[in-house]
Amino acid sequence: MRDVLQKVAFKLAQLGASSPSDVNELFAELRAAFDKELGHTSDLGGLEQLRARWRGRKGLDRNIRQNWLSPESSVRFAVGKAYNDFKEHVESALAEKRIELEAEVQKRVEAEHLDVTLPGLAQRRGARHLITQTMEEICGIFERIGFSVVEGPEVETDYYNFEALNIPEHHPARDTMDTFYLDLPVSALPAEVRGRRPGTSPFPLLRTHTSPVQIRTMEKQPPPVRVVVPGKVYRRDNPDATHSFMFHQIEGLAVDRDITFCEFKGTMEYFLREFFGPKTRTRFSASYFPFTEPSADLAATCSVCEGAGCRVCKQTGWIELFGAGMVNPAVYGFVGYEPGELSGFAFGMGVERFAMVKYGVDDLQLFFQNDVRFLQQFRR
Amino acid sequence: MNILYEWLKEYVEVPAALPRFIEEMTRAGVSVEGHGPAPGGGGTLLELEITANRPDLSSHYGVAREAAALYSKPLKPIEPAPPEAAEPASGAAQVDIAAPELCHRYVALVFRNLKVGPSPDWLSRRLEACGLQSINNVVDATNYVLLELGHPTHAFDLDTLAERRIIVRTAKPGERIITLDGVTRELKPHHLVIADARRAVALAGIMGGAETEISLRTRNVLLESAWFDPITTRRAAKELGLRTEASYRFERGMDVEAPLRAARRCAELFLELAGGELLAGAIDVYPRPWQPPVLLLRASEIERVLGIPLRGEVVEGILHALGFQGARSAGDVWQVVAPSWRRDVTSEIDLIEELARLYGYDKFPSRLPPARQPVARPPEAEAAAVLRERLEAQGYDEAINFTPVNPAAAEKFLAPGDELARLRNPLSEEVSVLRPSGLVSLVEALAWNINRGQRNLRFYEIGKVYAMRGGGFRERRVLTLAATGLRREKSVGEAEQPFDFLALKGAVEAALEPFALPPLRFDACDATFLHPGERAAVSAGGQTLGLLGQLSPALVAAFKLRQPAYVAELDLEAVYAAGLRPPRYQPLSRFPAVARDFSLLLGHGISFSAVRQVIEELELPELVSMTAVDQWFRGGALPPDRYSLLIRVVFQSPEQTLTEEQIRRLSDRLVEALEKKLGARLRTQ
Repeated sequence: MRDVLQKVAFKLAQLGASSPSDVNELFAELRAAFDKELGHTSDLGGLEQLRARWRGRKGLDRNIRQNWLSPESSVRFAVGKAYNDFKEHVESALAEKRIELEAEVQKRVEAEHLDVTLPGLAQRRGARHLITQTMEEICGIFERIGFSVVEGPEVETDYYNFEALNIPEHHPARDTMDTFYLDLPVSALPAEVRGRRPGTSPFPLLRTHTSPVQIRTMEKQPPPVRVVVPGKVYRRDNPDATHSFMFHQIEGLAVDRDITFCEFKGTMEYFLREFFGPKTRTRFSASYFPFTEPSADLAATCSVCEGAGCRVCKQTGWIELFGAGMVNPAVYGFVGYEPGELSGFAFGMGVERFAMVKYGVDDLQLFFQNDVRFLQQFRR
Repeated sequence: MNILYEWLKEYVEVPAALPRFIEEMTRAGVSVEGHGPAPGGGGTLLELEITANRPDLSSHYGVAREAAALYSKPLKPIEPAPPEAAEPASGAAQVDIAAPELCHRYVALVFRNLKVGPSPDWLSRRLEACGLQSINNVVDATNYVLLELGHPTHAFDLDTLAERRIIVRTAKPGERIITLDGVTRELKPHHLVIADARRAVALAGIMGGAETEISLRTRNVLLESAWFDPITTRRAAKELGLRTEASYRFERGMDVEAPLRAARRCAELFLELAGGELLAGAIDVYPRPWQPPVLLLRASEIERVLGIPLRGEVVEGILHALGFQGARSAGDVWQVVAPSWRRDVTSEIDLIEELARLYGYDKFPSRLPPARQPVARPPEAEAAAVLRERLEAQGYDEAINFTPVNPAAAEKFLAPGDELARLRNPLSEEVSVLRPSGLVSLVEALAWNINRGQRNLRFYEIGKVYAMRGGGFRERRVLTLAATGLRREKSVGEAEQPFDFLALKGAVEAALEPFALPPLRFDACDATFLHPGERAAVSAGGQTLGLLGQLSPALVAAFKLRQPAYVAELDLEAVYAAGLRPPRYQPLSRFPAVARDFSLLLGHGISFSAVRQVIEELELPELVSMTAVDQWFRGGALPPDRYSLLIRVVFQSPEQTLTEEQIRRLSDRLVEALEKKLGARLRTQ
């Protein structure tokens, strides 16, 4: 017997069907074929294919309409009725089957039970060092208000590290910056590090602050200048919980024609609020640094007690943070700037100090031990 | 500097409670770091931090003067007027200044018949409260005046001075002195000494000599109150390793007008505490009396620096309160003379600072400056950010290590031709050279963590290394990696994976992938700190970028790691110079890609890179990628002179779906080339 589905491609007359009973027989065949296929369908994807074949606009339906429901057919009425009955059967059978299959799927999915409390699988991310994160945060705040980040050599000459910053040999301010000297002549340094002027020391040194980069920047670039300089600095201090012979600093410099003490204050206050939070208040105390005048020590309201006084701020309400001030006009003389027309401010902060205050780290040595139990606490 | 609050208040009325006083003095520049009960119950002790420019604050009277200016209160004058005997001092002793450029003034008072003995309670208690030991009434009186007025004085036993002479001169070659602390010190010709007719009897401005010190037998005293050069004092104190209350003050610059008053104040106390008599007339050698400079102060400059105008009365009020003499001349310009105790004020900006300080920093408005130029970002900053991101994504924790390291450890990682850069004054031998490689301490970091039970470690550090080469010193930026233990720990759904060479190489490749470098090459190298069987140099376009490999077993043992470690170091100067590779759009093929595996039998020593090179040289446009999937050295029907390498090649055409026939032809060309050039055979399944 030919496949019943192929029969719809022929006119009824060609199939030799001329009576309603012949028609009913044909539809009975169709229904049997459909029921058989439906019986073999075991998943929702197969059911969808079955529906397309039996109820789709193309194929079966079009053929029946064209070949069996032709207006000239004498059994048109019988075909119409039988076709409607057939369609109704197909629809309801498909719907029933769908419910059945969906229930089966549901049952199977429910059986596929995974312990969702098992640990997830992922590559553990590495932790950026807290000092790097803090430097990025500080530099980022200054970048937002027009400061460019610049870097420079760590092995410096006496001239750039001290003299050009208005700290001549035998200046008492050198007491606070005990210096490591290298056992090699200054002439061994690359020409661009050596610079134009010899310093008083015949030996290069490990920079005690990143300020030499400010001098190098001003030598290279006419004003206006607005830079921050992050980097490692070295002081000959014995290590303890608050001292290290190497630490990190960010120094900044702004020089222009109309920068006054008010702009200095505004910039510092903005920075501290951004870093410690909008409620932070800033205290400027008069201080002394050879390369700034007027100079100030900056303190922020203690973020633990918000200025009320607690153990962290030794009951003062203030956390002392860093030194800053208006650039001493004497410094402009060293770099060929015109002191009478220019003004500016400079600041220098210890990165470890900021990280310790903000994250509650109580021992400076932790930053250099590289203990992963410490480092990974600050993973982001 | 420790100040007794109660003592301070003898000179000035403080119209504020203690906490406010501390806060206001600190803001004005007299930083009070702490306070508490004085030892011995003498009152409240304030711990001051005096900045290097303000030696005038290193006394109770100096601080009182500052408080008087701050609160606009009168300062109690100290005008000592000790009674004098008839006998003139000039006949009892002689003073000569042989180095007038280093000693601007020398005042000597001479006393007869003092009775040296213990100090009364009130005096010793005050000294001890401020941290000074009570010695005897004469010495204690000089120390009391030091704390009170700030000017150091020194008492000699007059009868021990040869010929009763004082000569201020530089030391003679080879000259020695036994100082009060009992130490014999050898002097240099630039050291300034106080000598008698025969020998040095004191280190000028630093410490007296033991041979002329005040003893219980002393009856006659010569009291010195002088002015010594700051730099000379500082150099000598530093070279002799002798920092004293006196040297601290002289090296910061004392008031040249103060010696006579300080001496007379001492005299009052001597007479009160030790009886005796003061001979008539001070011996005051003061060849060139102080000429205060006249400073110009412009109202326009005040506003230009401080950002707001200050009214004339405010300017004059502050300057007068601080002891400055000033007169307004033409227009808004003042001619100002600083008081003798303010040697730090030498220019207009110094005066402006005084104005800002006393006016109050907190009274200035805050403004953000307008930006005039765009922010520049160096390309290295972007490159470093990309490197960090890449390495952290692969589980590498960032380490930061010290620059000075142990020379013995540094030698092990020193590149041939490099020499270590040494420190002249290291804190210890352990940290006496600058690191020539980041590995010196990064391997140490592995050991530190392994010793603390952390065995699976991956570190990166972006830092500098330092070395001498051919007489020139260089600091270079490098990326250093070190890893050990497991790359992946076992868990449900994943097997355990040890960290190995290929994991390290993958990290190096991943780090370098974003950079516009020529294709990377990995060749064997001979670095002695690496395992001979697993070490490589990575290069790009003929330029060596770095080394990677397993740490040599000898170093694993030396650093007590107890497990294999993998390390790499890359030269970031070369990497940064290449710059980041800008991504570029490639049209996507609409046609399917087809993967084909080839199981090759290769002679030992034929590397994967040789296979890849042969395939790449075919320049098949349809070849999209090729990789090694597996490798066997034993088993099956493997001939002894061969090993098996399974490679996977992906073909794809941008123009059509590849037919079976086309794929077969591509595969044949590939196999044929491998057979011809490398003697490879296709393994029959």
